[in-house]
Amino acid sequence: MKVRFRIRRFDPLHQAEPYWQAYSVEVKEGMTVLEALLKISEDDDPTLSFRRSCRSAICGSCAMTINGFPRLACSTQVLPQYRKKGEMTVEPLSNHQVIKDLAVDMTPFWNRMEKVSPYLAPKEEPKDGWVIRKEDAAAIDSAQKCIMCGSCNAVCDSLEADPNFIGPAASVKAWRLVGDVREGMKKKRLERLSEGHGVWDCVRCVHCTEYCPKDVRPLEAIERLRAKAIEKKVVDNHGAKHTLALVDSVKRVGRLDEAAMTFKTLGFLRSLGMIPLGLKMEMHGKLPHLIIFPAIDGIKEVRKIYSAVERRKKKKE
Amino acid sequence: MVIHDVVVVGAGLAGMRAAIEAARAGLNVAAVSKVHPVRSHSVAAQGGINAAIKEADSWEDHAFDTVKGSDYLGDQDAIEVLCREAPSDIMELERMGAVFSRDDAGRIAQRPFGGADYPRTCYLADRTGHGLVHLLYEQLIKHGVYLYDEWHVVSLVTHDNSVRGVIALELTTGKLHRLHSRAVIIATGGYGRVFNTSTNAITSTGDGMALALRAGAPLMDMEFVQFHPTTLKRTGILMTEGARGEGGYLINSAGERFMKAYAPSKLELASRDVVSRAEQKEIDAGRGVDGCVLLDMRHLGKDRIAERLPQIRDLAINFAGVDPVIAPVPIKPGAHYSMGGIMTDVDGKTPVEGLFAAGECACVSVHGANRLGGNSLLETIVFGRRAGKAAAGSCIKGRGLRDFPDPALADAASAIASILNRTEGESAHRLIAGAREAMEEHCWIFRTREGLEGGLKKIRKLRERYGRVALTDRSDCFNTELLTALEAGYILEISEAMLMGALARTESRGSHFRLDFPARNDKEWLRHTLVYREGKGCRMDYKDVRITRFTPAERKY
Repeated sequence: MKVRFRIRRFDPLHQAEPYWQAYSVEVKEGMTVLEALLKISEDDDPTLSFRRSCRSAICGSCAMTINGFPRLACSTQVLPQYRKKGEMTVEPLSNHQVIKDLAVDMTPFWNRMEKVSPYLAPKEEPKDGWVIRKEDAAAIDSAQKCIMCGSCNAVCDSLEADPNFIGPAASVKAWRLVGDVREGMKKKRLERLSEGHGVWDCVRCVHCTEYCPKDVRPLEAIERLRAKAIEKKVVDNHGAKHTLALVDSVKRVGRLDEAAMTFKTLGFLRSLGMIPLGLKMEMHGKLPHLIIFPAIDGIKEVRKIYSAVERRKKKKE
Repeated sequence: MVIHDVVVVGAGLAGMRAAIEAARAGLNVAAVSKVHPVRSHSVAAQGGINAAIKEADSWEDHAFDTVKGSDYLGDQDAIEVLCREAPSDIMELERMGAVFSRDDAGRIAQRPFGGADYPRTCYLADRTGHGLVHLLYEQLIKHGVYLYDEWHVVSLVTHDNSVRGVIALELTTGKLHRLHSRAVIIATGGYGRVFNTSTNAITSTGDGMALALRAGAPLMDMEFVQFHPTTLKRTGILMTEGARGEGGYLINSAGERFMKAYAPSKLELASRDVVSRAEQKEIDAGRGVDGCVLLDMRHLGKDRIAERLPQIRDLAINFAGVDPVIAPVPIKPGAHYSMGGIMTDVDGKTPVEGLFAAGECACVSVHGANRLGGNSLLETIVFGRRAGKAAAGSCIKGRGLRDFPDPALADAASAIASILNRTEGESAHRLIAGAREAMEEHCWIFRTREGLEGGLKKIRKLRERYGRVALTDRSDCFNTELLTALEAGYILEISEAMLMGALARTESRGSHFRLDFPARNDKEWLRHTLVYREGKGCRMDYKDVRITRFTPAERKY
């Protein structure tokens, strides 16, 4: 069956704007997008640039935007996509600069990776070698599946807003190390990850987890890093303070006391800096109550949940 | 021009391991690779890495299994090095941060693999190579190795049989760069892509071997190509030997476990050449299913498949449309591994001074006529480390920076310009397709003299046509067609060397099976074939196999 591919092409050094080019490809059942691209470049247009290597969804070369979402070209079959959408569009990964056509500049990706010192800094090894229990290995198993294809960074909302954000991929690597029983620099790592542009800057849009082709679940890694940071008392930062204030507020009054949370997260002086924003919000009727308000009716139930969680935590220890 | 003490070409497992070892010696090391390290084909290795780490096992047993698996063509001194050093290398990987799958006591687990008498394959589920590649990439960063990724080495610069560095093409700009060095280590992997039906990545085109051949180093045992028994029908994508190691069956159209007839005691876990030939015979005898036989894992159950072979299940579903939990997977033999390669000693040294090689592109030879599963990852680690150490050692002992010959860059530039400037000629894709077709027809599992001669004729004609290769894409940014054209040249040269070796070896041994000489011939052929480049053609030479403790005997599984 003939399928029309619309491919977004761009050679930034020589062209002012990207443009769409259409190709018609004879597609058989089971054929992947990568095979179709190879066919185009072999039979039709050798100037089309894209990365490819293993063909079996393990090297991470061929992540691109297929019908609007990041996917590995090698593990995406054409016909199911085509039937669902009625067309095939192929574009480079978003959130990345294009080098040419479907190949994007991965340098910022690798630089972020290097920022988390991505290598084990082990504790002293026991005399007769490491014993790693199955559950210890399981904690970092999904992080270990990462193939560094960049799909998660391509759909990350925080990264789009802040290019300095560490991003989901490097967070996965960070968790792979912090979650390792042999790692000796956990606290140091968590301190660095808790600084600005670190794991607390994630807005939990869940896109990374949704579009990861290898089920790595980067958001889970970020959440585990946050939990571990609080557990290790790395709390002198806005993210941890905000979370603790939230926990505290719900425990106290059974709901968000937003004004109090601002003070607890930012401290008194920085909160003063928020006054202009507060005035603006007030003008639009969006300012939270500044007076301390009473607890909700079912506060006793809420506190029961808290003590149940506390008990479970103690039991675990 | 940039200057480094050691330049490593290729950044898969062997290349990275070598680079790390050289960097540990305090040298300035660079790794040049046409793909980023984590994209290397090592990443696709599934099953595991062998080492005798349990008390009930011994390195001598591992060595014997390897020698027997090699059909007695492996050099036994090298195999001793491989097996003796395996356990400490595994422990070192773990110290670097590798997380191997564990047994119930929390120690490294091991699974049975083909051709081995003891379950000695350490693994990380079914993505061992992936785990190790990412681990060594971490270590590469830790040790401050300079990385030139997406730089394609176009020539190995030598003068007076001594290496001076390399010239590489930067893919994103099309610029040629000189990398001047005291030593060069080649670790570019295999030549699986001379065939169509191959488990190898699109990038495994034997580049480093062809570069070394041009630089005067000999290629050894090139006729030996391992055909993996279980690859997916249409794509050739690999189904790990671990699938059989965990208990999977091979069945034919009648539902029989046909390996009973070919290897009564080891059955599906006989060595790979034996199983692949058995499958091909079943298929040729009409007992196949649509050109395949079936890999049946249903009796393992969903949980065991999910725990031990998760990736295999995904691959079968995504690439063959079959869920192994519910139905058997159609599979056939496909080209998988290159036993042959650049001739080296146990320290990775080649006959060209200052030039080292390690991993699949090298031939030490530890795999002889047939490699055992789980030994290739081991080879990359053990001999990668040794090559890195030896290269660093040669620099420290006084191998200085010698002159980089002036015309080298101009020569490389004009060679590439002549391809880029040609307005009409042969398409690189067509040439590669022609070579692959010829190799599959004439140099596949079963070979004959007439077939090989016919293949050689075709390849030589293609090489002539390669002189007129021309491109459509003339840009200097990410010109993948230019890379394909360069790879076509490598593929053709490698194919010729393979056919020469296959023609010369008038016996059947391991993976090399000649229908006209169906028996092993120890009297004449306990020797390696060597191919040297001479002018535009090739010259053959031979080298005896080194036998230390295991006398050649008949191989039965």
